[in-house]
Amino acid sequence: MTSRGSQSHGGQVRRKAHVCAGCADLTDSGPTTRYARRALLRAAVFDSPVFDGHDQEFWAYRPPRAATVVTGVLAEVTPRAIVVARPDGDQFIALSPSTVTWLGAKVSPTALRAGDPVIVRRRTHRLIPGSPPADGDAGPGPGPAASVAERIWARIGRVAGEILEVRGRELLVDTGQHGREPERVVIAEASLRHVQVRFPRLTPGYLIDVIGTRRGDGDLLAVTPATAQPPYLAAHPPAPPPTGAYSGGPISGAAVWHEPGDERADLLGVGYAALDPETEGGSVAPGDAAHQHEPCARLPYLSLGSAVQVRNECADRAAVLPVTSCSASARQFCDRCVKCGTSPRVRVADLTMAAFVELGGNLEDGCFNATLTLAG
Amino acid sequence: MVFVGGAGVLAIAREVQIPLLAVLLIGGFAAKARRALGARSIDAGIGPTGLFPFRLQRPAAIVICVSEFGLGVGLLVTAGRIGVGPPAVAVRAATFVLFCTAVAALAELRSRRPDVGCGCFGDVSSTPVGWRTITRAALLGAAALSTIGVPPLHMLGSLDQSGQALAVTVAELALLAVLSPEIGELMVRLGRAEPCELRRVPVAKTLDTLWASTSWRRYQRYLITTTPTDVWREGCWRFAVFPGILASRRVEVIFAVYMSGRHAPIRAGVIDIDTPPATSPSSRYSSLTVYRKSAILKNKINISSNGPG
Repeated sequence: MTSRGSQSHGGQVRRKAHVCAGCADLTDSGPTTRYARRALLRAAVFDSPVFDGHDQEFWAYRPPRAATVVTGVLAEVTPRAIVVARPDGDQFIALSPSTVTWLGAKVSPTALRAGDPVIVRRRTHRLIPGSPPADGDAGPGPGPAASVAERIWARIGRVAGEILEVRGRELLVDTGQHGREPERVVIAEASLRHVQVRFPRLTPGYLIDVIGTRRGDGDLLAVTPATAQPPYLAAHPPAPPPTGAYSGGPISGAAVWHEPGDERADLLGVGYAALDPETEGGSVAPGDAAHQHEPCARLPYLSLGSAVQVRNECADRAAVLPVTSCSASARQFCDRCVKCGTSPRVRVADLTMAAFVELGGNLEDGCFNATLTLAG
Repeated sequence: MVFVGGAGVLAIAREVQIPLLAVLLIGGFAAKARRALGARSIDAGIGPTGLFPFRLQRPAAIVICVSEFGLGVGLLVTAGRIGVGPPAVAVRAATFVLFCTAVAALAELRSRRPDVGCGCFGDVSSTPVGWRTITRAALLGAAALSTIGVPPLHMLGSLDQSGQALAVTVAELALLAVLSPEIGELMVRLGRAEPCELRRVPVAKTLDTLWASTSWRRYQRYLITTTPTDVWREGCWRFAVFPGILASRRVEVIFAVYMSGRHAPIRAGVIDIDTPPATSPSSRYSSLTVYRKSAILKNKINISSNGPG
């Protein structure tokens, strides 16, 4: 969605042991192709039933399809509508008085500018009952449909990881993703106190997770904390619970989101903390293995392409999504989400932005309480 | 001392079935309810409901749970003199029908969804359905059938009768334990051993298990190489893909190995890779390719794919 520049601080950057061993392999070999094919191959063995009815009637290899989310770049902004440029053509989305626009804070839609990368949650209105559908995006029933924006997020970004360096309000953060340079975060002056309330230790070695807007140079201008700071050093996370704590059933915790990075902006998928190290981890040197973090909860080993059901407990919406990446933040952060009630201290799903919004989450909130169930 | 002959033992055995079936039914309901509460969804993890269309899964799960609880309570209530006659016969016959339906559903589940458990006792029934689970349901069906016509239960008159009732109960529970994969799962949890979903299993060990299986021997002659082109894992299952040639067509043979140790179930499937499956006309919402069942079946080679498990 946004192009992120790579910065370094004059060679003083320390490269940490990668939290997710094997992420490099996943990106290098084209995970999309691999996991899509795995779904097909798995179906050839188990022949999972697939229903040809509505979108929610699947539990296997039929891919998720965004019903309410549009991602792209703003091509035009008028007082009554926006036009979002997408690879498959421009999308016209009407604005209403109830449309909420976020650009570092809640703003008027007129604050948006052409060229801003946006993600929009929309609702569809039927215009003339009885006439043919306008396009394939229309919901059930006849008649042309118009999209009305419920929420618009522009230039939104997020950085989660270990603080490497601090220079005033500027931080250098290692996100733990293999092959990624550390990210530079600038905390907005007006937000510094707010961020420090939730992240009191803005010192190297501790974790930070902030949300803000992407600047032209790719840096993140942090305006709000995404969560509260875990009390431990990134290199010394708490030990995972004993295996007896694993019940085999649904796993409750927090669902967070991450920026697309190398993924497609509209991808519906999950970053997962417990990818099988034997098949997805690549070759791990013994020294590196010692530095790998265990997830904060006992999670069953999965691979790219595995299907999981993620339920937003706050919005009571659920979807079956493929595992599309490994999640460094889900391994590093043993924290809770308190969006609706208090979740257990684990990030069970690190959703793509489109999936997070599709499930009813608001990006600026950072998380929602979620339940993860293995599908398939 | 009262002598109890073969007919007497049989009568005692029939009487024992009523409380035994009632306890199992109510226990099954309680385990399902516990899982449903944990998942906040009544149809979570109840295996046979996966055979229904999505919109019917929840009603089916409710019917199963209500049936189990109702029949369990009904068996207890009508065991004595309260429900003598048609009510007792109706409840026991309904229990028999329930288990007969279970046998058919489990057999169908094993055929259509060999990767899922029966969900009979909630979380602990996650082992894929096998002959043991089906046999257990059939045995319980026979037990339910034997209760039809049993007179109202009464206190046993002698120590010998009590001993024989105890012996019958213990023997039947032992048989049920042998037929219950849940026992192994419970032992793992009680012993705090790692469940297979959490256990790191080297790929080499999985391949050793595969190479020693009858499924492998059945498909080996079609393979071009014994080196897998892709290996991945989903919980307790590990998948390995091998290229092959079958009927002059390029195929891929996929093996799924259940990583539960010895006698692991192994499944296999073959797809024709010269005929690519139909894809979605629009993939703009996702970079995944759409695979529909019709395309899968069209490309699936018609070979029995069941392994030894």
